Amino acid sequence: MSATPRIHTRSESSETVAVSGIGAVKVDVRALNFYYGRFHALKNVSIEIPERQVTAFIGPSGCGKSTLLRTFNRMFEIYPDQRAEGQIVVDGEDILKSRRDVALIRARIGMVFQKPTPFPMSIHENIAFGIRLYEKLSKAEIAVRVESALTRAALWDEVKDKLQQTGTSLSGGQQQRLCIARAVAIRPEIILLDEPCSALDPISTAKVEELIEELKNDYTVVIVTHNMQQAARVSDRTAFMYMGELVEYGPTEGIFTKPSKKQTEDYITGRFG
Amino acid sequence: MISRYRRRRLLNAFNLTMAVLATVFGVFWLVWILWTTIRFGAGAVNAALFTQDTPAPGASGGGLRNAFVGSLILLGMAVAIGAPVGVLAGTWLAEFAARRRLGAVVRFLNDILLSAPSIVIGLFAYAIIVDPSGRFSAYSGGVALALILIPVVVRTTDEMLRLVPGSLREAAIALGTPYWKLVTRITWKAAASGILTGILLGIARISGETAPLLFTALNNQYWSTDLGHPIANLPVVIFQFAMSPYSNWQSMAWAGAFIAVAFILLLNLAARMLLGRRRPRA
Amino acid sequence: MKVTAPRSAPAGASRLSLDVLFRKFTGAIALLVTLSLAGILIALTRESWPALHRFGWHFLISTAWDPVSDDYGALVFIVGTVVSSVIALLLAIPVSFGIALFISEMAPRWLREPVSAAVELLAAIPSIIYGMWGLLVFAPWFGNLEPWINDHLGAIPWIGALFQGPPMGIGMLAAGIVLGVMIIPFIAAIMRDVFLVTPQALKESAYAMGATTWEVARYVILPYTRTAVTGGIFLGLGRALGETMAVTFIIGNANNLSASLLMPGSSIASVIANEFTEATTHLYKSALLALGLILFVITFAVLVLAKLLLLRLDRMEGRRA
Repeated sequence: MSATPRIHTRSESSETVAVSGIGAVKVDVRALNFYYGRFHALKNVSIEIPERQVTAFIGPSGCGKSTLLRTFNRMFEIYPDQRAEGQIVVDGEDILKSRRDVALIRARIGMVFQKPTPFPMSIHENIAFGIRLYEKLSKAEIAVRVESALTRAALWDEVKDKLQQTGTSLSGGQQQRLCIARAVAIRPEIILLDEPCSALDPISTAKVEELIEELKNDYTVVIVTHNMQQAARVSDRTAFMYMGELVEYGPTEGIFTKPSKKQTEDYITGRFG
Repeated sequence: MISRYRRRRLLNAFNLTMAVLATVFGVFWLVWILWTTIRFGAGAVNAALFTQDTPAPGASGGGLRNAFVGSLILLGMAVAIGAPVGVLAGTWLAEFAARRRLGAVVRFLNDILLSAPSIVIGLFAYAIIVDPSGRFSAYSGGVALALILIPVVVRTTDEMLRLVPGSLREAAIALGTPYWKLVTRITWKAAASGILTGILLGIARISGETAPLLFTALNNQYWSTDLGHPIANLPVVIFQFAMSPYSNWQSMAWAGAFIAVAFILLLNLAARMLLGRRRPRA
Repeated sequence: MKVTAPRSAPAGASRLSLDVLFRKFTGAIALLVTLSLAGILIALTRESWPALHRFGWHFLISTAWDPVSDDYGALVFIVGTVVSSVIALLLAIPVSFGIALFISEMAPRWLREPVSAAVELLAAIPSIIYGMWGLLVFAPWFGNLEPWINDHLGAIPWIGALFQGPPMGIGMLAAGIVLGVMIIPFIAAIMRDVFLVTPQALKESAYAMGATTWEVARYVILPYTRTAVTGGIFLGLGRALGETMAVTFIIGNANNLSASLLMPGSSIASVIANEFTEATTHLYKSALLALGLILFVITFAVLVLAKLLLLRLDRMEGRRA
């Protein structure tokens, strides 16, 4: 194996489907239904997420956008009464039916949450923790990886002198970038962002948005946001969801300038939601 | 890397299995203790248990009548002293000292008292009542049990009163209700079942207490309801009979243990049901 | 959500006196309850003064306990109390952690309540029942196990001496085990409560990285709840130190030090319970009360520490809320 081992190979070998004019499909959701107990939260959702682009899910709260995101890494599985039916094909493999352990699936799909969630350990450990889950590296190698992850998250300069302080000692915006660095450090292929800026001030938000721009060079990014301007700013494609259904999906510019559905237009122009 | 991953998964499986085993282990002791108490105790329960007094050493027959009555007297005294004191102190904590430093200190020390060893409470009752008065007595036992009951009642009263919505208080004050009336007529009533739960749990706690009675109420082989003298009581009788070499005493101890455990579990059940009923209203 | 009363009563002129009276009266009672702690300290110090005066600091380090020549020391019992409590903790901490982990992270929802209730019931059973059960049921059973302990654990170099002795069932080890079972519900309940309030997003973040349930518990939940977990352990220790009846039944009541855990011993509480009513001389009784004073001071310190640690978590939660 190479010096930078991966758990799996990228999708070059597997079938790649082209979405009209946007390159290779990374995640292909087919007829997905989702239930919280008896509540039917996602209704027959099908969507193709392009590789190395930013896809945004927007919609009023409760529309299912976070729910959809959380099926991509099977996060719902830690709750006993939630279940998903359908297919989520990542690189040709249906992860919902995959025999592979869910941890290996999650290793290539990083996730960042609404509120910053630094682990109760030092800044350095916050990042080293995830690396060590998958790789046995020397201290020096880990230090290199920690630095590069923090650099990627545009946080290195701010924390390089206090790596041993606890993660909670950082400001909210720094904490969120730490969480992004933590996700990046495992070298995923897909990064899921669940309203990553909703708890941040405008300056921190701008930094995170800049970072998202950067990330799409190497990763497939999916972002859930309730902030339409944010979706317009950072994403290449936007999906509008309403009441558990995917209403409209297409290039961001198109969605925001000439939506084809009435519901989308109403939402974007602020008539509801 | 896959082997590293496999090791992690094995470790996870092993540790989670241990967690399940730990739970089984904990529940196993409960079942074991309850089962032996029922097996040895339930069969030994008979009518004589409730109609005859504790037998002399070596004598056959006899019952636990004096111990049951003595225990009820002791519990009655403890509740008569402990419940009002506990409710009033808890009321002060919740209504007048909720955000004051003194309140925090009192609450803290009450929690310490709550966990203080009961044997020390017994020695305290000995020191302030038995020693000065020169003899063991039922009322010194009642005071010792009251001292154990009080912090339980203080704590639940405090917690339950603080759950009463502030809007209720404001509404009453807006009507011009004096504060003492607000507390006694409205907040106590709103929190009544919670406070009662605290008292029930407190009774459950003290009805098995043995150590503090060893230096206060002592024991009495005969029928006595004289509060100024030693009085028979179930825990100490169980202690003496279980430690004794006589098999009929041991079997009587099991019968007593069975009744004590049944009583305590019923109290706990009642407390749970009361609290369950209260929750939707809060 | 906690709703607290307005800070003070409204100052309606005519009814002021009754309101003030009510507040002062309940306040006085609350203070009285609190002052009983000081009362315990004063009363026990006064009662144990003859022994403390006679033996001085020597009382703490003397192994003598001889009613005939009226010579008393506390060391045997202090050691017995500490050793039995340490055994109890060694058993109770891992088991409680396992139970809390099972309830908070593994059990299906419908199983949570029954398991919690069962473990809480362990705390409701009075210690006298543990004691007689321990003496009449557990000790004979444990006695059958002890030859095996002798042969295997007793053969280990260095610590082997701890596990050699006659297979009587009762003794320091048996008492420690029963004590451990008794404090499991206290420690497990606190661990479960704090595990359950660990923010879900924090756990999800770790799961999202592909961490296993164990790794989430070990590296996220446990560090996050460390202070409260320590507080819970100290609370359990406080219980174990002062536990009387169960220990009195099982520990064997031998007033001397022994290297082996299988040998009978005594704890502070057990010797007081056993000998108090037989203490005929003034000094004898005073020595027993002095033991009670020592027990009170030790448990007070442990409990204060426990509560302070637990308070820190409360404050943390307050900040988050």
